Amino acid sequence: MGMEHVWLLPAIPAVLFALMGLFNGLVPRRGDFIVILGMAVVVVLSFLVLLDFQGSFRDGHFAPGDSNLYSFSWVEIDTGVVDDLLLIEFSTFVDGITVLMLAVVSIVTLMVMIYSVGYMRGEVRYGWYFAVLSGFGAAMLMLVVSGNLLLLYLSWEAVGLASYLLIGFYWERQTAAEAAKKAFITTRIGDVGLLIGIILLWRGAGSFDIQEIIHFAEGGGYGETYLTVTMLMLFAGAAGKSAQFPFHVWLPDAMEGPTPVSALIHAATMVVAGVYLVARMMPVFDVALVARDVVLYIGLTTAALGATLGLVTSDIKRVLAYSTVSQLGFMFVALGVGSVTAAMFHLFTHAFFKSLLFLGSGSVIHATEEQVVETLGGLRRKMPATTTLFVIGSLALAGIVPLAGFWSKDEILLVLQDGAGFGPFVILAATAALTAIYTTRLVLLTFFGEPKDQAAYDHAHESPAVMILPMALLALLAVIAGFVALDPVGRALGFTGGIGEVVFTQGHEGHAFKLDATIAIGATVSALAGIVLGFIYWSGTAERAVRARQWSPEFHDLLVNRYYIDHLYQFTIDRVVLGLATVVAYFDRWVVNETGVDGSAQGISFAGYRLKFFQTGRIPNYALAMAIGVIVLALVAVGRT
Amino acid sequence: MSDLNFEYGLLLPEFILVGSAAVVLMLDAFRADLRISRNLLPAITVLGALIAGVASLLYLDRDPTDFAQLIAVDHYTTFFRILFIATLVAIVLGSYEFVNRNITHQGEFYALLLASTIGAIYMAAARELLTAYISIELLSFSLYVGVSLAKNDTRSGEAGLKYVLLGGVASAMLLYGLSIIYGTTGSTTYEGIAAALEDGVVGTPAFLLGLAFLVGGLGFKASAVPFHMWTPDAYEGAPLPITAYISATSKAATFALMLALFGIALDAAKADWQWMLASLAVATMVVGNLIAIQQTNIKRLLAYSSIGQVGFMLMAITTVSDASGSALLLHLAGYLITNLAVFIAVIAFYNRTGSEEIEDFRGLAETQPYLALVITTALFSLSGMPLLAGFVTKFVLFQAAAEEGFLWLATVAVIMSTVSLYYYLKVIRQMYVAEPADGDSRWRLSPIAYLTTGVLFLGIFLVGLWATPIFEAADGASAMLFG
Amino acid sequence: MAGDIPMENFLILSAILFGIGFYGVLARRSAILILVAVELMLAAVTINMVAFAAYLDPERFTGVIFAIFVITVAAAEVGLALGIVLRLFRDRQTAMVDEASDLKW
Repeated sequence: MGMEHVWLLPAIPAVLFALMGLFNGLVPRRGDFIVILGMAVVVVLSFLVLLDFQGSFRDGHFAPGDSNLYSFSWVEIDTGVVDDLLLIEFSTFVDGITVLMLAVVSIVTLMVMIYSVGYMRGEVRYGWYFAVLSGFGAAMLMLVVSGNLLLLYLSWEAVGLASYLLIGFYWERQTAAEAAKKAFITTRIGDVGLLIGIILLWRGAGSFDIQEIIHFAEGGGYGETYLTVTMLMLFAGAAGKSAQFPFHVWLPDAMEGPTPVSALIHAATMVVAGVYLVARMMPVFDVALVARDVVLYIGLTTAALGATLGLVTSDIKRVLAYSTVSQLGFMFVALGVGSVTAAMFHLFTHAFFKSLLFLGSGSVIHATEEQVVETLGGLRRKMPATTTLFVIGSLALAGIVPLAGFWSKDEILLVLQDGAGFGPFVILAATAALTAIYTTRLVLLTFFGEPKDQAAYDHAHESPAVMILPMALLALLAVIAGFVALDPVGRALGFTGGIGEVVFTQGHEGHAFKLDATIAIGATVSALAGIVLGFIYWSGTAERAVRARQWSPEFHDLLVNRYYIDHLYQFTIDRVVLGLATVVAYFDRWVVNETGVDGSAQGISFAGYRLKFFQTGRIPNYALAMAIGVIVLALVAVGRT
Repeated sequence: MSDLNFEYGLLLPEFILVGSAAVVLMLDAFRADLRISRNLLPAITVLGALIAGVASLLYLDRDPTDFAQLIAVDHYTTFFRILFIATLVAIVLGSYEFVNRNITHQGEFYALLLASTIGAIYMAAARELLTAYISIELLSFSLYVGVSLAKNDTRSGEAGLKYVLLGGVASAMLLYGLSIIYGTTGSTTYEGIAAALEDGVVGTPAFLLGLAFLVGGLGFKASAVPFHMWTPDAYEGAPLPITAYISATSKAATFALMLALFGIALDAAKADWQWMLASLAVATMVVGNLIAIQQTNIKRLLAYSSIGQVGFMLMAITTVSDASGSALLLHLAGYLITNLAVFIAVIAFYNRTGSEEIEDFRGLAETQPYLALVITTALFSLSGMPLLAGFVTKFVLFQAAAEEGFLWLATVAVIMSTVSLYYYLKVIRQMYVAEPADGDSRWRLSPIAYLTTGVLFLGIFLVGLWATPIFEAADGASAMLFG
Repeated sequence: MAGDIPMENFLILSAILFGIGFYGVLARRSAILILVAVELMLAAVTINMVAFAAYLDPERFTGVIFAIFVITVAAAEVGLALGIVLRLFRDRQTAMVDEASDLKW
């Protein structure tokens, strides 16, 4: 099993999707174990691919920066009677970011599948759910191994289609169906850009092959404006899929789908497809610097926007959705300054802790059938395991040493400071602190304090082992995944240069992981400050005071004496942070969502409404239209000469 | 004149079709006396069509030839013979239940379908203006009657009247254009016109006037905006199988004719007509797709959606070349399969519910999941979803247009494809989201409906995933015009 | 051939006839009269065809053959259209096209 067989990875789940989609009624348990087994095989295979990659890497078969392209002709349409115009070849390509994506996608998919055995038990269409999950995995794996933009686009759309089916899984619920439609259409608007971008790239290079396009672009084959427009088109597709401003509106709504689906699609796989795409095309973006700057500033805007919105949202899953939007913004910021390494590293760690958080929220929803934080609270007593795991995920998200999020977020701040200067750095650092605040809020309101809704609390119970186990594995990864960046770990894995050496694309040098002490300490302090701030604001002051008195009277005095600081905090958060967040939320809902996204849909619809009245139903009017048509044609024809 | 080839054997498939039509008519006339089952009529139609289809295959190995310089018999003709005969078979199989219930003159129904198929084939095969015109009228006249055949539906008569009167106006426009082209070039054969154009008729005011009328007349047959207005009304008023037939065969035949006419005869005058077709193409895709959003009747929705599709096909005629020719043929094949899948599924739905309103598709995923799946897949394919026929064929089409320097047109087409998804999803949403009406329980399809939709359903995937064989056939056919 | 009358005269006559026919289609409200107007348009085409055949293509007479077919097809069309008008008349007791406008938008 080497890199040349990498096509097997998408093929296995694809076949299982077809079989189980049709015949899940014929096998015991509706075939869930078959699908899971298939994905487990894929996980093993993805490690074999990693080994092979790393083996040839070490043997010096290719130096860093080399590529590894295997092409096979799956569909070949060659109109080349006159000139071979439309040769469409399908090929796979393996390099560092492919290997990384394969590991992330297969592991998270497997974990989500196992978790779903518990979460989805007793649902109608249980077998269909697993089949589509498998189909989604296939499409996503196909996306990351394709070495050809056309195949990439095909899988890109297949991913969208599978996610449409998954988000709309509860299609009996009107909101779920609407959300599925919204997600689908919003991302499709971006996809129009992507397709146009692909065609533009092809027109220049005469090939869909990514490596050839990169060579062509680096050789200055495209004109500057042409390439800028093209890459912006491509980025529109990426922004649609990865929920970047102004396309971010679909992601929170997509939370209507089953929670494990959110963990898979909206944390670790589909939403990072845009990041992957931009990373894959980074050498071309390096030539089109204007487009790269757009990536940077869109990423920055989205990061800040998502974090602010996360502060004022009360649905546990929507908080996580905004958090994902924000974290994806972080990744695009890294890409915007040209650091594939930092972006992919954050993608890697984020996949684990964010899917862990989603699964944790699923566990809560499963137990209480509530997902509004104001009705939860105190769950730590009933669900100790979930609480522990969720807290680990939250700390990783907040970026606390030594959890995974710390390393990657730090890396992004570092490259941003080097690449874009102080202003953007400050904004992103503040966003990182905001992340800590809303994470703390979420944890406190859900698991700590007193239960706010007794019924939900009474209903709560710890989730079964089949759900806890995958969460525990993800939690483990959320703890250790960051270590791959460290040199000793890198060497142990066979890469002397750590993460930077693994994650690169051809023609684009990665860089070794650096740890800047100032930034590391600064980030940690601001994260901790954020957590403290969140604690002070959202854990009930009275209760805290009482408990503090029991623990230490001196400390209580201190607290009481410093009450004015509490007030200051209170004022800062109430008036400034939350006020700002509310304004942003208002803007997001009414301007971006209603006017921008829904408005354009309504505009199109209204145009159709106006136009249809030309169709009066009367023959003379129809004949008049024909007469005008032919007269205009004739007049213009004669007039042109 | 004596060197003309009068080998009647070249027209064998059409003789078989005519013969079947005659047999069907006779049997229908004496049906009461002969006490035969009425399923015999569709059976004979299908049988005749199949034999004609096999007969068409006989010409695959022969060198391209022609009948009296009027009708070409080559791969291009064979391609369309197979395509139109397959369409006929699919429509007869998919609609015989409908016909049994809703059509009183069944013999005429099948005979007209057979006759119009001949017209469609000769539209593709014609290499001379008069032959082309007669073929157009053979097809159109059959459809005028076909549209008015639903005796129990007053909409049918109104639709027939609109179609026949406006069709007459369009024919007159077309003929006026043809007469001027004949007058300026002195020939009615495609080759003769092409030769005359080389000698410098291009760009004279008279010729341009002729072109404008020609484009207008053909634009009507193709339903290009602003000559499209009959389309939604005729689609809505016609009995469903005829609607399906207009949207499939009639459209494809018009484009087959246009490709040959503009590709062979008028190629030298490209600069004179390219902008006409390009502007019609833009208007057509924009207007068709936008009005479609507002529709509540499935036939009307499909009518506007097919107008939108016509815009995409006009793009291929605009950029006429070998590449866009094969792209257009591939697209036509994929479009016919997809469109027939939708229509036959809708016919099966109508047989059960008697409704054409999109609203009444609610809960179809519960009551008839198979049908819902077929419709969903086909609509996704129409909107150009990857893995399905619509993506591959549209992609090749758009790419060919972009290559010929019409990137802006291809861009509009991509955007309008996305708009089309919006109204297709409206139908899909009704089927999957809304609750079934009270008292609706699961129901079954007839075995033949299963078979027909099943084959078409697989066809959508076949073209989407493995387009190579069809593309090669299309390419070979297109090479006959441009090779 | 054709005496001293220049070909343009026939073409102008044809154009005028075609214009009158087209105007008739737009202005008339009775299906029968619209049909008559269409016939005028077709007659214009016939004149065109015959004139071209006589002046430009006297050896082969393709235009005349064309004209004969146009006349035949036009006759068939009238028969067919009248049948459909009758059908409409039975449904609605009118042959006014304005009143047949249920199908719209």
